[in-house]
Amino acid sequence: MYNQNNIYSTAFAKLQSINYPLLGLIITLFLVGLAALYSISNGDFNSWPLKHSQRFILGLIIFFILVFFDLRLIFGYAYVIFFLSIISLVIIPFFGIESNGATRWINIAGISLQPSEFVKYTLILALAKYFHSINNDSGFIKTLIIPLIITVVPVFLVITQPDLGTALIILLGGISLFWISGLNYKYFIVGVFSILCSLPLLWQYLKDYQKDRVLTFFNPERDPLGNGYHIMQSKIALGSGGIFGKGYMEGTQSHLNFLPEMQTDFIFTMLGEEFGFIGTLLLLLIYAALIMISIRLALKSRSLFSKYLSLGICNVFFIYVFVNIGMVTGLLPVVGVPLPFISYGGSSMLAVMFGFGLLMNCYINRDIIIEKTNY
Amino acid sequence: MKKSGRFIFQKYDTENLINRRAALVTIAKAGVFSVLAGRLAYLQIAENSNYKKLSDKNRITHRFLEPERGIIFDLQGRPMAINKQKYEIIIIKEETRDVERSLSNLKSLLPHVNIDVENILKEVNSRKKFLPIGIVDDLTWEDFSKVNVNIHKLEGIYPQIGFKRYYTQGESHSHLIGYVSPISKSEEESNPLSKLSTAKAGKIGVEKAKDTILRGKLGNKNIEVNASGREIRELDRVNSVQGNYIQLTIDSELQKFCYERLKGLSGSVSVINVKNGEFYALASSPSYDPNIFSKSISNETWEILLSNKYKPLINKSISNQYPPGSTIKPFVALAALESGVSHKETLFCNGKHLIEDTSLDSGYKTFHCWKKEGHGNVDMKEAIKVSCDVYFYQIARRIGINKIAEVCKRYGLGEKVFKSFYEEKSGVVPNKQWKLENLGSRWMVGETLSAGIGQGYFLTTTAQLSLALAQLINNGNKLNPKLVYDNEIPSVYDERLIADPKYLKIIKNALDEATNAPGGTSYRSRIIGKYKMAGKTGTSQVRAISIKEREEGLIKNKDLPWEKRDHGLFIGYGPTTDPKYAVSVIVEHGGSGSGSAAPIASDIFKYLFEKKINLKRNEIFNV
Repeated sequence: MYNQNNIYSTAFAKLQSINYPLLGLIITLFLVGLAALYSISNGDFNSWPLKHSQRFILGLIIFFILVFFDLRLIFGYAYVIFFLSIISLVIIPFFGIESNGATRWINIAGISLQPSEFVKYTLILALAKYFHSINNDSGFIKTLIIPLIITVVPVFLVITQPDLGTALIILLGGISLFWISGLNYKYFIVGVFSILCSLPLLWQYLKDYQKDRVLTFFNPERDPLGNGYHIMQSKIALGSGGIFGKGYMEGTQSHLNFLPEMQTDFIFTMLGEEFGFIGTLLLLLIYAALIMISIRLALKSRSLFSKYLSLGICNVFFIYVFVNIGMVTGLLPVVGVPLPFISYGGSSMLAVMFGFGLLMNCYINRDIIIEKTNY
Repeated sequence: MKKSGRFIFQKYDTENLINRRAALVTIAKAGVFSVLAGRLAYLQIAENSNYKKLSDKNRITHRFLEPERGIIFDLQGRPMAINKQKYEIIIIKEETRDVERSLSNLKSLLPHVNIDVENILKEVNSRKKFLPIGIVDDLTWEDFSKVNVNIHKLEGIYPQIGFKRYYTQGESHSHLIGYVSPISKSEEESNPLSKLSTAKAGKIGVEKAKDTILRGKLGNKNIEVNASGREIRELDRVNSVQGNYIQLTIDSELQKFCYERLKGLSGSVSVINVKNGEFYALASSPSYDPNIFSKSISNETWEILLSNKYKPLINKSISNQYPPGSTIKPFVALAALESGVSHKETLFCNGKHLIEDTSLDSGYKTFHCWKKEGHGNVDMKEAIKVSCDVYFYQIARRIGINKIAEVCKRYGLGEKVFKSFYEEKSGVVPNKQWKLENLGSRWMVGETLSAGIGQGYFLTTTAQLSLALAQLINNGNKLNPKLVYDNEIPSVYDERLIADPKYLKIIKNALDEATNAPGGTSYRSRIIGKYKMAGKTGTSQVRAISIKEREEGLIKNKDLPWEKRDHGLFIGYGPTTDPKYAVSVIVEHGGSGSGSAAPIASDIFKYLFEKKINLKRNEIFNV
């Protein structure tokens, strides 16, 4: 159908139509993460910073591969991709790697991956395809129950790992798509109400350490040396940073090891200590800009699938950032969510690049109209 | 279907719907980001100073630095109490999240070291906050490095280098110098070193008496620590100041000789310079090793020391009081001379002296001379020479107790010799007023007689007796008793204690005869040679002798149990031609002064004369 020339010109056109401000912001965030990890490893590039860079490059490759895919192909295989990711979650209890009492990782070709990170995006993919395809006159079951089941299955699987934080992000990401795709707001009111009512019931299913975290969140003094210690030390690090920070590589909380998990979940705190309020506000603005651009790009697509998918990915990304910063500033319980592009962690990096790859694809192929399928 | 609120999914006008809903979501996101920014502003701007303090509290730890204790030298400048380096471990409760876990980790790290977790926990919980509590006092280098390597497992536990006191002279000097041990709760208020739980304070002897001089000043430093308590760097430091040194007037060689000479006996020796009041030796026996106190001493060892009947912990030269016995006689004679009694007057001794006592059936109370058959006619010189009791009964009765007491007090009896030693006893010089105040009853004539031969209520210490004799022999010049060189008080006062120099001649002559003339009480212990000693023996009873026993014949001292035997005393000076030293010896339950105490004094004088040790201060410079 195409000749050689055609393929090249198409590829070149695609490269040209990439939104570079968005890519630029992604690279900026990666560089911020690189600087943070360089500080944490006390100037040793070969430890965390090097691996972080390698992962980012791998992420960029995934990004560009996704950019070149035909959107219709992605649409066509949406369910398959989702199904595969669910399978990877299902096999975790049998082939997974245990660490700190939770089994979240599987080993694929020598690389440990956390499937739940990817499920955040594959769920959006599946739901976007589903909502794209339903009709105005579809019944209650078809329009609400089935997508709900699609959402709840991965959430449930992730909760059992157990990984409450990721499960909540998957759930919130999925629900945000229900909203975008036009579910009557009354259902949301009913939903929120019923969740509030079932909270005491859900409480019983939480693991002890999860209960501890939630209780400690509401009352940090309850356990100042255990779970409260992390929140307290994190707040001390941020607060002591002041307006201008203690200076790059001068953070005492981080460099003297008072700060827990500073290369992963608490990396924002470490940046806050060294760069102060100016630094954290700037970082917040970069994230805001990235999200704003994403929304703008999403709304340019002509097909519903593209819009749903892009907005969903954007929402998941936002939830990520919000939960992480909310957690380290003591606004939310400590649930163990990394800060995208900055935290040290392979799965998170690859997954978020996978997400933005899809988003960029939707933008490049914004004029493609996708026919409804029978779900 | 078009009315809003009836649909499940709105699938018409999707363009508008998505825009509308996306806009709502965007507004919500902006709201959330504002909240985050607000939260960061609150933490990093509004609460900054608070969190800055907390962050500094996290990383900066204050540590006190132990000062090195002042060194104690002897007369010749020989160090007698020095400091050695030691490795110790302390714990700070507030710097650990789990004291018990830290301690149990330490325990499993050093299984062979005795760590009393229960006691340490008690201590940790009762002391002030952030006060380091010592766990192990003296550690081997191997264990010390083991702790250093595993410091990350031992939150709140810190190994450090401290000082331990070492006494070079061992047990011969232990009573005099004393020892140090941890500061007790009652001393906390007055001792600034108590901020450091590992710091020690003098407990007895010179170590306690001069503690404020010896202790030095605490230093301190601020250090930056990481989360596991390891020191990263020092931020600032004020060095500790070593305590001042002290030089004693004691000659450690002489002291050692005196102590060795007392070995096997329970007693004490005091050697004083009659010209300037400097004490050259103050020995007490039996003794203990003062170096056992630099480690924490076990209860068992302590109990053994406490329960020993020879009381090794007591400094018998200043803390035990004895009736002076016949050693008081030169002073009673002096009182008699001052009261106008002629030394030529003779009194008859038939072995006993009777005084009226209506409470007894016979109507008389009998006072015996030590010599049953009596001394016959004796004058003052003879009475001192042969130590005739009956002579002194009569003299005492004539001049009265108050005169005797006045003279004895003038020469320093009944008063502490060294004001700064809390363990020192003052002795008792009784008079009428004293008895009324202390016993609430009137003075009896018979008590004057007992006092005349140094018995009854009379109590003195070894150091007191040597000082009293020194002040008498040195032409009656008042001396300032000295044990520590502190350049404060003159050694000799321009104050004459003796009323008339010719009295001294009489007393000296008598004392000379008592030692160097045949028939004198200490003739057997005389020194033959260029330099001689002169002195007075004393035997003080520790039991009442019943009439029955007297009739059946006195039981010999050697047949009595040790505790019931008489104390043996001797005071002497020498050389007789130009007196330099005064010596007093008390041998507890030694039997008699001539048999037990005088030979020791004789040996000490021989040592002083023959060795010709240069008892001159060797001043300390550049410590």
